[in-house]
Amino acid sequence: MKTDRLSLQILADYAAAAAEAMAYTLMRTAHSTFVKETEDFSCGLLTPDGVTFASPKTLGATWYIGLDYGPAIRLIEDYREGDVCITNDPYSGSVATHTPDIHIWKPVFVEGQLVCFVAGHIHNTDMGGAVPATLSRTLTEIQQEGLRIPPCKLLREGVFNEELLRLMAVNVRLPEQNWGDLNAQIASLAVGERKVKEIVARFGLQAFRDGIADLLDYAEAQARRIVAAIPDGDYEHSEFADEDSEGGPPCRIHITLRVRGDELVLDYTGSDPQLVSSLNMPTGGRERHVLVMVGLGYVLYSLDRSLTLNAGLLRVATAVLPVGTVVNPLPPAAVGMRSLTCSVTQVATLGVFAKALPERMPASPAAGMTIMNVRTMDRRGRPIMASIGPVGGGAGGEPAHDGMDGCGANSSFLKNTPVEINEAEVNVLFNGYGLARDSGGPGLRRGGAAVFMEFSVSAPQTMITARNRDRTRFGCWGLRGGGAGANSRFTRNPDGVAPEELGNRDVVLCQPGDVIRVTGPGAGGWGDAFARDPALVARDVAAGLVSEAQAEMGYGVVLRDGIVDAQATAGLRAVPRTAAALFDYGPGRAAFEVVWSAERYAVLTRLLAGTAVTWRHWVKKAIFTAVEAGEHGGASPGAQLEAIFADLIRRFPQLGGVAE
Amino acid sequence: MGIRVGVDIGGSFTDFAVLDEADGSVRALKVFSRPDQPGQEVMEGLRQLEARHGIPPSAISYFTHGTTVGVNAVIQRRGLRLGLITTEGFVDVLELARLKIADMYDLFSRRPDPLVPRERVFGIGGRIGPDGAELRAVDRASVLAALQRAQATGCEALVVSLLHSYRNPAHEQAVKAILAEAAPELPVFLSCETWPIIREYERTVTAVVGGYVQPRVAHYLTSLQQALKNAGVAPEPRITKSNGGVMAAEQGKADCIQMILSGTASGVIGAAFVARSAGLKKALSLDIGGTSADVALIIDGQPQYGVGETIGEFQIYIPSVSVSSIGEGGGSVAWVDSLGVLKVGPESAGSSPGPVCYGRGGQKPTVTDSFVACGLIGASELGYNAVRVDIVAARAAFATLAQKLGADIEPVAEAVQQICVSGMYTGISALVSRFGIDPREFTLIAFGGAGPMLAPMLARSLGMAEVLVPPTPGVLSALGGLVADLKNDFIRTIYSDLDAATVPVLQETLVALQAQGRAWLEGEGAAGDTLVTADMRYQGQSFEIEVPLQAAWIAAGNLAALREAFHDRHAALFGHADRKAAVQLINLRLVAQGDTPKPVLPRLPAADGEAVPSASIEAWLDGAMRRVPLHHRRDLRAGHAFPGPAVIAQDDCTTVVPPGCTVRVDELGNLRITVGERAA
Repeated sequence: MKTDRLSLQILADYAAAAAEAMAYTLMRTAHSTFVKETEDFSCGLLTPDGVTFASPKTLGATWYIGLDYGPAIRLIEDYREGDVCITNDPYSGSVATHTPDIHIWKPVFVEGQLVCFVAGHIHNTDMGGAVPATLSRTLTEIQQEGLRIPPCKLLREGVFNEELLRLMAVNVRLPEQNWGDLNAQIASLAVGERKVKEIVARFGLQAFRDGIADLLDYAEAQARRIVAAIPDGDYEHSEFADEDSEGGPPCRIHITLRVRGDELVLDYTGSDPQLVSSLNMPTGGRERHVLVMVGLGYVLYSLDRSLTLNAGLLRVATAVLPVGTVVNPLPPAAVGMRSLTCSVTQVATLGVFAKALPERMPASPAAGMTIMNVRTMDRRGRPIMASIGPVGGGAGGEPAHDGMDGCGANSSFLKNTPVEINEAEVNVLFNGYGLARDSGGPGLRRGGAAVFMEFSVSAPQTMITARNRDRTRFGCWGLRGGGAGANSRFTRNPDGVAPEELGNRDVVLCQPGDVIRVTGPGAGGWGDAFARDPALVARDVAAGLVSEAQAEMGYGVVLRDGIVDAQATAGLRAVPRTAAALFDYGPGRAAFEVVWSAERYAVLTRLLAGTAVTWRHWVKKAIFTAVEAGEHGGASPGAQLEAIFADLIRRFPQLGGVAE
Repeated sequence: MGIRVGVDIGGSFTDFAVLDEADGSVRALKVFSRPDQPGQEVMEGLRQLEARHGIPPSAISYFTHGTTVGVNAVIQRRGLRLGLITTEGFVDVLELARLKIADMYDLFSRRPDPLVPRERVFGIGGRIGPDGAELRAVDRASVLAALQRAQATGCEALVVSLLHSYRNPAHEQAVKAILAEAAPELPVFLSCETWPIIREYERTVTAVVGGYVQPRVAHYLTSLQQALKNAGVAPEPRITKSNGGVMAAEQGKADCIQMILSGTASGVIGAAFVARSAGLKKALSLDIGGTSADVALIIDGQPQYGVGETIGEFQIYIPSVSVSSIGEGGGSVAWVDSLGVLKVGPESAGSSPGPVCYGRGGQKPTVTDSFVACGLIGASELGYNAVRVDIVAARAAFATLAQKLGADIEPVAEAVQQICVSGMYTGISALVSRFGIDPREFTLIAFGGAGPMLAPMLARSLGMAEVLVPPTPGVLSALGGLVADLKNDFIRTIYSDLDAATVPVLQETLVALQAQGRAWLEGEGAAGDTLVTADMRYQGQSFEIEVPLQAAWIAAGNLAALREAFHDRHAALFGHADRKAAVQLINLRLVAQGDTPKPVLPRLPAADGEAVPSASIEAWLDGAMRRVPLHHRRDLRAGHAFPGPAVIAQDDCTTVVPPGCTVRVDELGNLRITVGERAA
């Protein structure tokens, strides 16, 4: 470390202040609701190589602490003072991860020398393409997801690239809003640039350069210390999204964590092939791409909250991302809804670390946060659209505490919208908004309860959209004897004569009188629920978070008029039970894995690797259909898949092509 | 002509500012606070006032008081055992809050437990719609059932917060009537009476915090009134409010929520008074105590107001003087992490045990100790002889730290000062960015025990040109209470597009607000006027900005003027305005304000000749051991000027002036420090 140990924190403070100043400028001046409501933006300071060394800690999205602009930066030939570069293309430079995210960066020169870059992104509401707001699970090719801008100059030495602006304006639905957001981003970079120059003036050029390197080294050293305390070994975990496309079979993310001393490998081999839907995560196969490292950042920071959050901490890990899989798709795979898959990779990461450190890790949080939107029309027939808020769940139970109810863990950054505002804005009337009873997984430490939202529709032709629906089939796992959380539900007219389960539907057309109820997934419990203090169970019952039935079944606690019946409780708890596995995945996943065991998946992964990337998703679905139909049912699981695959090749010889 | 007394109770000291109306002089007095027996410190101060300054209680003509009794009840969770009644289906309003959690990278992050746990929240039947229309009548049986459960769970009072009560309070009032009939002894607080704003969480949590502290505050005020009466203080005491105004103590008993931040607000009011009297257009106030630094923006002599100020672990949404709190102060502890990097805070030695140098049990080196270790503090007395500085102990604590780092004591102590300054820089930089101001145009007004010690260094790092240290920096909050106006806020939700159809509603609402404002002023027995503002936004935005309006525009139905006022304000705050876009008016607000007599501060006698330091000390400053002149504040006269390095000692604090800065004493006795570059 070249920087004086007395002054490293001072440089860290100044750099953080510069990043926060950029964030505040963005928030003050941006137009897009994504910036103001969900803080879906990032900003930071980058080394001349493009690695993020400072970002705001309490503002913006949580995914981008280690973002590497390097590949995009290197696609531009030369940099001059006043240049600003732009890209939103997930397939050039691996910085943007879906088209609505417009990233821009600017070189900072001092005395004619490039000292660093300042950069940031905003999620724009619309970038054009097949559907309004650009994103839909049903899209199958990146070309349907709007305008793509490969890395190029937005400003040359301070002068706008007018042709590019015109090109953008005619390709998007809300050009004024994008223009406003772009100006906000440029203003934010200007503030960052000015702040960096002030820091360099204060510390001197060489000390600034040394200091950046030291800040990254410091985060790395902290991270290595954390990792060194994790037992060496290989830890495997699979996590599933309910559907890999609308109505499709599950999407599997599989990670093998290899811990060796103070280094980690996150091997994603065994994850599903790339999909003909927009759930793919564009990483370019880069071994430290932020999308596959989000979970790791959460884990390391949670194990030691003094960890400095910059790209240095990612140096302890590399990811293996096989080409043509959902975690490293090739164009033209669509990527718009990568957030759903990214959420699954986060839980998968928690899963492998839970195997390595079950005493220190929480159970699964309520991954999968549905964003609800209502679209109706006003008197003049003009559309009114409002996001009425996220519906998710809480944090997993953890060694010291119950999981937080309603939010927390990896969804702590989201804000809700008040019921009173929603009712004033759109024609829906809420029947309830709160925590769902019996949703949190039972445990010594209970899993966080899910959120429910119920409203009735009062205008004709009301379109309800639910983005990122998941977890209606597979619950969130409990750990060390804790139970899985309850599944998510989405129902029309739940208390009517003919309730309609909507599952993971994205879009529902409603008519006056329709009642919609959405309940998020409950988080997993931690530790043996039968060892939970009966008084705490009684309190949860009094609070309405646990029913008396669940108290008996899940916790072995008998209540009489709200008071613990000690004798009956002791009796229930004395009944011998089978020893719990480390993970409880809940009934949905247990049933699925009876058929789709690790063994079957190993064979499936091998078979799919032998077919061309663009066929794989179709082949996967065909094999799932055949297994469900019981074809070659008498054979061993492996042999069955081989036989089904052979049938497919016979019928469609082109599937047996060589792997790319 | 009489004596005006302002009293401010802080964590360690209770400050008295005593203003003699005859000559405008301000005297300062400090006694130890008595958290065990709140109120006793006031009596002790009155005794000392008579004994030391010959001012009997009967001479006191005006008495103001700021207290942290409310905020402490929340921090220590020693308020009422409350129950909460909500609309059925929405009992989790406090549990869910607005979802977002501050430490968002931590899988184990937690929201503080609500002041009312879920098992004491009761839903009742009945519903008001967003337009204020009744959709279902209040279900009396469900109210009685809630009451029964509240009594069974030992609730001492109930807060009622029902959906859309900001629009139509009828259901909350009906519930109160039912409760009053069934349980006349049970206190009931309504959200529509506490602060009737749209957004159910914000309105509910504000009402809950208000109800939570109510008995403690009311009891405290009653004992204060009684004690003052017994002591022979004739005037009715006035209480400083979170909004920077004052109100009668009697009013405070009913409106506890209004005075919950009275301590922090009065410091800013004091600083604003100093800014006005010194003719400063743009100032930042900096109040550094043992555990935190409070920073506020003062423009044209006026503090800025906002909602969402933090009380313990909660935010409340009544209009308050806008203050940013940074968790670093003179008591912040310096330490070395496992990788050998020097850190400061977040742990604080606070006022107890305090820094090592106070010799009251503190063992860990603090920021204040770093100034002692450098020889900058300790050459003179501190804190009205209440504290003796133990230089040996402070240096010993730093020797341990220096050993871990393999460095000398003084450079390590200076690094601690710089880390503390860079931490505050980060906090102030956030404020600067949020308000979009340029700190280079601002003067830093430093007060509090540790403010003047750190302010010049901090101003230097922020690029600010000037620091002002008022004559009595230790009692500026107490002085703030003395100069505060009578002030009360009123609000009505409109939530409507700004078009012709809204005009009659605005006119009707304004008339009602003005009547309320005038009635309040009459109740306080004061003359004054009312100011109108509105919370407005572009259609589709999710937050509002407050826009000053003229009542005449509303009376005349001048929509164009109302819209233009909003566009201009938006442009001023955010740098752009969309003059074609539709505008919404969310709330109409009114401030009733009554003047209180303002003191005319005395002029300091002019200097004849140079300022003569009382000593020359050897101290470490800006990377070197230097000879530093030590001045006593009481020896300085108007027009005195001298360059840094210099140390200026006074009873309640020490001002440290680095090399490259210059000090000038102005006519009012303020130290005006021109900040220069750091010495190489």
